[in-house]
Amino acid sequence: MLRSSLWGTVLLGRALQAVLVSLLVGSLCFALMHSLPGDPAMRIAAGRYGPDAMSLQAAESVRQELGLEQPLLQQYGRALWQLAQFDLGHSLVTGRPILEELQVQLGHSLWLALASLLLSLLGIPLGIIAGARAGGWLDRGSQALAIGVRALPPFVLGLLLMWLFSIQLGWLPPAGFGSWQHLLLPALTLALGLAALSCRVSRDAMAEVQQSAYFTFARHKGLRGLTLIQRHGLRNAAIPVVAYLGVQAVYLIEGVVVVESIFAYPGIGHAMVHAIIARDVPMVQGTVLTLGLLFVLINLLIDAACRWIDPRQGGTR
Amino acid sequence: MSLSLRIEHLSIRAGLTLLVRDISLTLTAGTPLTLLGESGSGKSLVMHAIMGSLPDGLQAHGQIWLQLPGQPAQELLRLPAAQRQALWGRTLALLPQEPWLALDPTMTVRQQVQEVHQQVRGLSAAQARQQALDNLQNVALHDAVVSQPPVAERYPFQLSGGMCQRVAIAMADAAGGQVLLADEPTKGLDEALRDSVAQQLLREAAGQRLLLTITHDLQLAQQLGGVIGVMRGGELLEVTQAQQLLQQPRHDYSRRLLQADPGRWPVRQPSWTDTGGQLLEGRGLSKYMGGRCLFSGLHLRLQPGQITAITGPSGCGKTTLGNILLGLLPADQGQVIRTSGLTSLQLQKLYQDPPSAFAPHLTLAQGFNDLQRRHGFSDKELAVLLERLGLHPSLLQRLPAAISGGELQRMALARALLLKPRLLLADEATSRLDPVSQQQVMLLLGDLCAEQGLALLLVSHDQALVARMADQVVSLEAHGVTA
Amino acid sequence: MNSTVVTSPTTDIHAALAQAARPQPSRWAQRLGWGLLLVVSGFALLGPWLISADPDRQDLLNALAPFGGHDWLGTDPYGRSMLARLAHGAQLSFLLALLTTLMAVVPGVLLGIVAAWRGGWLEKALVALADMIMALPGLLLVLLVIAFAPGHFIPLCLGLALALWVEFFRISRARSAVILQQPYIEATRMLGFGPGYILRRLLLPALAPTLLTLASFAMSTAIIGISTLSAISVGVRPPTAELGSMIVELLPYYAEAPALVLLPSLLIFLLVLALQLISGGRKS
Repeated sequence: MLRSSLWGTVLLGRALQAVLVSLLVGSLCFALMHSLPGDPAMRIAAGRYGPDAMSLQAAESVRQELGLEQPLLQQYGRALWQLAQFDLGHSLVTGRPILEELQVQLGHSLWLALASLLLSLLGIPLGIIAGARAGGWLDRGSQALAIGVRALPPFVLGLLLMWLFSIQLGWLPPAGFGSWQHLLLPALTLALGLAALSCRVSRDAMAEVQQSAYFTFARHKGLRGLTLIQRHGLRNAAIPVVAYLGVQAVYLIEGVVVVESIFAYPGIGHAMVHAIIARDVPMVQGTVLTLGLLFVLINLLIDAACRWIDPRQGGTR
Repeated sequence: MSLSLRIEHLSIRAGLTLLVRDISLTLTAGTPLTLLGESGSGKSLVMHAIMGSLPDGLQAHGQIWLQLPGQPAQELLRLPAAQRQALWGRTLALLPQEPWLALDPTMTVRQQVQEVHQQVRGLSAAQARQQALDNLQNVALHDAVVSQPPVAERYPFQLSGGMCQRVAIAMADAAGGQVLLADEPTKGLDEALRDSVAQQLLREAAGQRLLLTITHDLQLAQQLGGVIGVMRGGELLEVTQAQQLLQQPRHDYSRRLLQADPGRWPVRQPSWTDTGGQLLEGRGLSKYMGGRCLFSGLHLRLQPGQITAITGPSGCGKTTLGNILLGLLPADQGQVIRTSGLTSLQLQKLYQDPPSAFAPHLTLAQGFNDLQRRHGFSDKELAVLLERLGLHPSLLQRLPAAISGGELQRMALARALLLKPRLLLADEATSRLDPVSQQQVMLLLGDLCAEQGLALLLVSHDQALVARMADQVVSLEAHGVTA
Repeated sequence: MNSTVVTSPTTDIHAALAQAARPQPSRWAQRLGWGLLLVVSGFALLGPWLISADPDRQDLLNALAPFGGHDWLGTDPYGRSMLARLAHGAQLSFLLALLTTLMAVVPGVLLGIVAAWRGGWLEKALVALADMIMALPGLLLVLLVIAFAPGHFIPLCLGLALALWVEFFRISRARSAVILQQPYIEATRMLGFGPGYILRRLLLPALAPTLLTLASFAMSTAIIGISTLSAISVGVRPPTAELGSMIVELLPYYAEAPALVLLPSLLIFLLVLALQLISGGRKS
């Protein structure tokens, strides 16, 4: 009973976060829509029917349909109500339903995120080995490398990789979309940043575990070598590493936006930046909301993992 | 040859600094040896030298001979690191300080005992499991009533401090180490738990085993009996049979250490007489915390020069009552009436943990300067006061963390006295000090009450101390109050 | 026993032990960071003032001039002096990041202290606000704010500051709450000192080292943010000399003049590296 209520708290907390995200995004996008110069009805009509077919009558019917003549507060309530029903509206640029566009783009972005996550896993064992011999050459070397990678903004890192693998070596296509080769460069760019972070975190966690009273005591009671690390090192070191995945999730989502834009990879982040430039507010709302909710979902998975690893957090194993 | 451990001319250095000077000791089976001393006396270093776990940068010189039955004696300090570590668990068992930090937080206690049988002794999982349960049973860790989860399947965070200490003992049993080294085994435990740990250690030492205990706790040393060595400043002052040491200590410091035990303090001449004067009165005080009644309808009168003790078990609301009387906390019912002209500045307080009562980044001189700017006392006043409290003026240039707890508590007293207080609350003010410092601070407080008519409110769990000091005692129980 | 014996200062075995056991953590990384920052910020702040060339003056006859000529670092495809553009770009990045950091630090720290000090509904409301901001990855929030006016400085700095102040709020609140619980705060009050003294002499000095660490890390985040957003054309826009947009603008000329792309990248790298070294490798 205690356990199920703990899980309840976790789920409730993340559900609340999801509501907050939707509220924040919905409100900002509502304000954005009304801050744009000109008549919103005209803009929407132009999006729906194309600039040529657009007429005053079309604008008027849109105004009626969307209730744009109503007081602001009423419109705001209506906008949030639509959001609550997952009605994201139509793009002002292509006129197509936002949900349809998002489905395709989200798929592309998830592939990118997954590929980079898998590539970045290499950082963890590297960090653990470095931390187990804190102060050694591998530790110093990997730390210097991690600091260097973290000091490069992802877009510069991406351009450097593009230069190396596409322009110099000619192995991979520089940009675009179509085959797995197009996925590789953006994924590698993201993975390097993620790996630098997880390498550092797992290194510190391992070094800290080795300083701890319980690790010392385990040595004193006669455990040695790999047995010692396996039984008392890894799980304890994993606790901060997993907790830190929350920070990694921020990096991942922000990175998806930047890297997709740089490599012209047709995912959701690329679409978001284009929507901002084109002032396609419904599209901005849809993309930000999707990435925001994805962030909440990742956090929920991390919560579950934390509880599973650390008995103090009341999980079951 | 029977089991023994012989330390000959052991010295420990950090670079050029000599931390432990020329110690010789012999441990034999059936006679527990206890090293008694304040923190910083070097006693823990001696133990780590035996174990071979001295921090990097410290070097041990001299010889430590380990004689196992039926084997040639080994000189431990000359063994290579790998061979010394091979002795860990199997021969040398260390009971850690604060075992609740030394147990792996992510494993159940049964798993942690079982792995010793399985990984160190090479038993099968099933055998190891059974033996682990036996070990836990032997240290009285089993379920008297069926509980969920059973004690053996709990994680360390689900156990009390005393239970964690017994788990650590069970592990030492599991490995079968013949030399048991106990490092401050009662640190952080209250009196009742201390007694049970002492009993457990004696049971361990009764068999064919050596027991070396390191402690600053005179009571524990007394309960363990055997031989006691007194250490101070890295030197072993004397090694004597426990009985003899407790009755006729030879060394001056040992004598002071024993006399500093509140139970042995000379009876204080009461300086206070009931003149009918009144400083502060609590009328019908009640306080509830977390739905629990700490005390209710409490009446209390404090007079100038009077020492009032508030005593009772931990968690009974002693400190809360003290804080209510000082006006730091509101009472739920009743009122505190101050005599006319008694200002808040004349009510001062001493804290349990002296370092936490000073801003860590300000030197003491900076703190006193700020106080001087605020209240304008003279330099001479401060100098006289420091001398009265036995504090060297050069200590003022240091940060609070760089002087001893006893000195810092006297600094806190000086700070309070500069404001000419009429009531001083001493909230467990000496419970974290070594016995000699404790006695020094308490004697000073008693003298100040007599000289200046200062009223003292003493919050303490130590019955012996209360009996020696107080003119009036308020005992709080878990429920209700007897005054 | 005589209680008035003046004890000599204690010889501290703990200090000796600590000294021997743990070699002092080397501070070379932080020193290197300060050194780098001095050099790069010197170039950023003094460069535009010392270099007389106009970063926006085009001279198409002198396009892609090589290193070492009249313009020292050559010219870009429009014949603009690279040295002048780099100096102005660095200055812009540095000042915008500094402004952003200040906009995050001041409200973040003040609100954090107020929340810890006052407690109650005010604290709850501020924490809820911070949680709301944290519910979304920072860059998404920044992009939403920028969407109001892409290409302008104010929403850029405002958006970044809006994402960054939360960290200052959370840490100042948590640390202040711990410090304000300490007995020495109560003791100080009982000794007759007011809230001004506690804030000035006890609280702020205790927070300062952490805040410096946080601020230098936040500034590095701001520099990355500004250049990244400019590179994906929603931050500062050409022709204003900005390091991020310069990199993207000059990328097509990589084959003819690789230094054009590498130099602004190097400047960003050094600035971020300096700030991250100063912050002592904070992980988030």
